[in-house]
Amino acid sequence: MIRRLRWWLIAIAVMCVLPLFVPMSITRLLVMAAYLAIFAMSWDMMSGYTGYVSFGHPFLIGVAAYVSAFLSHQEGFQPPHIVLPLYITIPLGVAAAVGGGMLFFLPSMRVRGPYFSLVSLAFMEILHRLIIAIRPEYTGGDRGLPALPAVVTGAVPNYYLALGLMFAVAIGLWFVTRSDVGYVLKTIRMDEDVVEASGISTYKFKRFAFILSAATAGLGGVFYTHYLQSLGPRWAFSATFLLDIIIAAVIGGMGTITGPIFGGYFLTFILEYLRPYLFGQWRLFAYALAAIFIVIYRPKGFYGIAQDVRGWFQRRRIRGEV
Amino acid sequence: MTKLLEVQGVTKKFGGLVALNDLSFYVEEGEVLGLMGPNGSGKTTIFNTIMGDFPPDSGRILFKGEDITKLPTYHRVRMGIARTYQVPRPLKEVTIFDDVRVSTVSPSIIRCLTGKVTAHDAVIKKILEDVGLSGRFSMYPHELTMGDLRRVELAKALATNPRIVLLDEIFAGLTVAEIEEIDKLLRRKREQEGLDFVVVSHDLKALAPLVDRVVVIDFGQFIAEGPFDQIVNDEKVKEAYFG
Ligand SMILES: Nc1ncnc2c1ncn2[C@@H]1O[C@H](COP(=O)(O)OP(=O)(O)OP(=O)(O)O)[C@@H](O)[C@H]1O
Ligand SMILES: [Mg+2]
Repeated sequence: MIRRLRWWLIAIAVMCVLPLFVPMSITRLLVMAAYLAIFAMSWDMMSGYTGYVSFGHPFLIGVAAYVSAFLSHQEGFQPPHIVLPLYITIPLGVAAAVGGGMLFFLPSMRVRGPYFSLVSLAFMEILHRLIIAIRPEYTGGDRGLPALPAVVTGAVPNYYLALGLMFAVAIGLWFVTRSDVGYVLKTIRMDEDVVEASGISTYKFKRFAFILSAATAGLGGVFYTHYLQSLGPRWAFSATFLLDIIIAAVIGGMGTITGPIFGGYFLTFILEYLRPYLFGQWRLFAYALAAIFIVIYRPKGFYGIAQDVRGWFQRRRIRGEV
Repeated sequence: MTKLLEVQGVTKKFGGLVALNDLSFYVEEGEVLGLMGPNGSGKTTIFNTIMGDFPPDSGRILFKGEDITKLPTYHRVRMGIARTYQVPRPLKEVTIFDDVRVSTVSPSIIRCLTGKVTAHDAVIKKILEDVGLSGRFSMYPHELTMGDLRRVELAKALATNPRIVLLDEIFAGLTVAEIEEIDKLLRRKREQEGLDFVVVSHDLKALAPLVDRVVVIDFGQFIAEGPFDQIVNDEKVKEAYFG
C-alpha cells in the first residue's frame, strides 16, 4: 500500500512545504491552480465518467458563489438585509448549487444524447442575464459584488485552505470512482442501453454523479469567491472559465479524477507564462488545438501518458531482471 | 400450465412501417419457445419491446401475470427477464471479465460504495467457464471471434440471474461443435435452474432439438404455432419463407 502510494505521499509532502520556498506570486498562482483542479475534478466526476458533457459548471459554481456572497455581503444593502456568517452561507451556497442543478439539469439527463449539454449551456447564459438584469442593486449587476468577507487572509493561509479542500475533494471522489459506482458510470459512457439491460437504473447513477459533481463545484465556488473577495458575472459565467475547466480535465485525463488535478495546475501555470503571447482569441484557438490533439492522440491525457511511462519502466525492469 | 411471459396484441410502428401488428403469443413456465420468421419480420423488435427499449403503440406485455408494459428496462431485468443482442454489444474498453461484472454489481449505490469490487468474481468466473470462455477472461472484445462475442452476450444475460432469457441468433457464426456446447449449457440451465428461453435462430438444425414449441411471425403478425415438426410443414409458414 505504502509502496503504491509512495509517489502521492512525496507529492503531498512537497505541496505542503512549497510556500516556504517559492515567492508570494507563485503561491497565489498555486491557490488558483488548486481551485481550478477542484473544478476540473468536479467536471470529471460528471462528464468524464458518464460522457454527459456539462457546459453548466460555471452555473453551478456561480449559483453557489452568488448565494454565499449575497448573504454574507456587508455593504451597499438596504435594511432589512441580514448579514450571515460564512459558516452558514457556505453550506447554503453548496446546497443552492446542488438544488439549482437538480432542478434545472436533471430532467435533461433522463434523455440520451446532447440535450443535457445544451440545457446546461442555456442555463449558464440565462443565469448570467438574470444576475445582470434583475435587481442590480442587490446582485451588483454587471459590476458584481466587491469587498466580500474572507475565510482566511494572506496568501499562505489561503494556500493551505485551498490545498486542504483540494485533497479532501480528491480523496472523496477517488474513493467513489474506484468503487463499483465509478465502474458503472464508466460503462454508462460506453453503452448506456447495455448497462440498463444489466438491471441497473442508469439514471440513478447519473443523478448520484451529478449531485457529487454539483456539490464539489459549489464547494469550490464559494471558497474561491471568498478567496478572491469579489464576484463578477463576467468572470463567473464566461466561456473562457468554462473552457478552462473542461480543458484542465481533458488534458489531465478524463475519467481518472487524479488527472484533472494535474491538468488544473498545468493549465494555470502554462496560461500564466504564455499570457503575453496568448490573449483573447488566441487563447481559445490554442485551447481548440490542444483539445483536438489530445482527443485524437491521447484520450486519457497526462494520466494516460503517465501510465504509459510507468508501463515502460516496469517492462524494462522485468527485462533487466531476466 | 401457467404463462410466464405473455405478449398481448402488441403493435409497434416505425414511422409508416408496421414492425409488429397486433402480435400475441406466450411462453409457458418451464418451456423453451422458438420464435421464427423471415428477415425483417419483427423478431428483434418484439424482443426490444419485451425489454422495454421503447413503448409499443398498443398492446401489453405481462410477466408472471403482472403488466410490465410501462416498467423501465432495468426493472424488468431485475424481475428476471434477460436478453442477448443479435449484434453483440460488448463494452469496448474493458475486458470480457469486467464486461460481465456489470451484470453483477448491486443496483444500490450505497452497497456499490461500501462493497468490495471483487465480491462477485467467483460467480463471474463460473459463468464465463460455463459458456466456454475459460482462459480468455482478460481479453478485450476486439480480440474475440464472433462466436466468442455471442458467448459473452450469453454470459452477461445469465449473470443477471434471470428467470427467462431472450436469445437473439445466439447460434449464428458458431461451428457445429460450439453450437452443441451452447445447446448443452442451455439444457442444463433449464433442468437445474428452471430457466425458460425464447430462441430466435435462422439455424433450424440448432433450433429443432432445443424447442418445445415454435411461434412463427411474418410482417410482425402471428401466422402459426405448434411443435417444430408440424410447423415446418405448415403451408402458411412455407409461404412466408419461400412464397
Ligand atoms: N429502431 C428502428 N427504427 C426503424 N425501423 C426499425 C427499427 N427496428 C426495426 N425496424 C424495422 O422493423 C422491421 C422488423 O425488424 P426486426 O429487426 O425486428 O426484424 P427481425 O425479424 O429481427 O429480422 P432479422 O431476421 O433480419 O434479424 C424491419 O423492417 C426493420 O427495418
Ligand atoms: Mg433480428
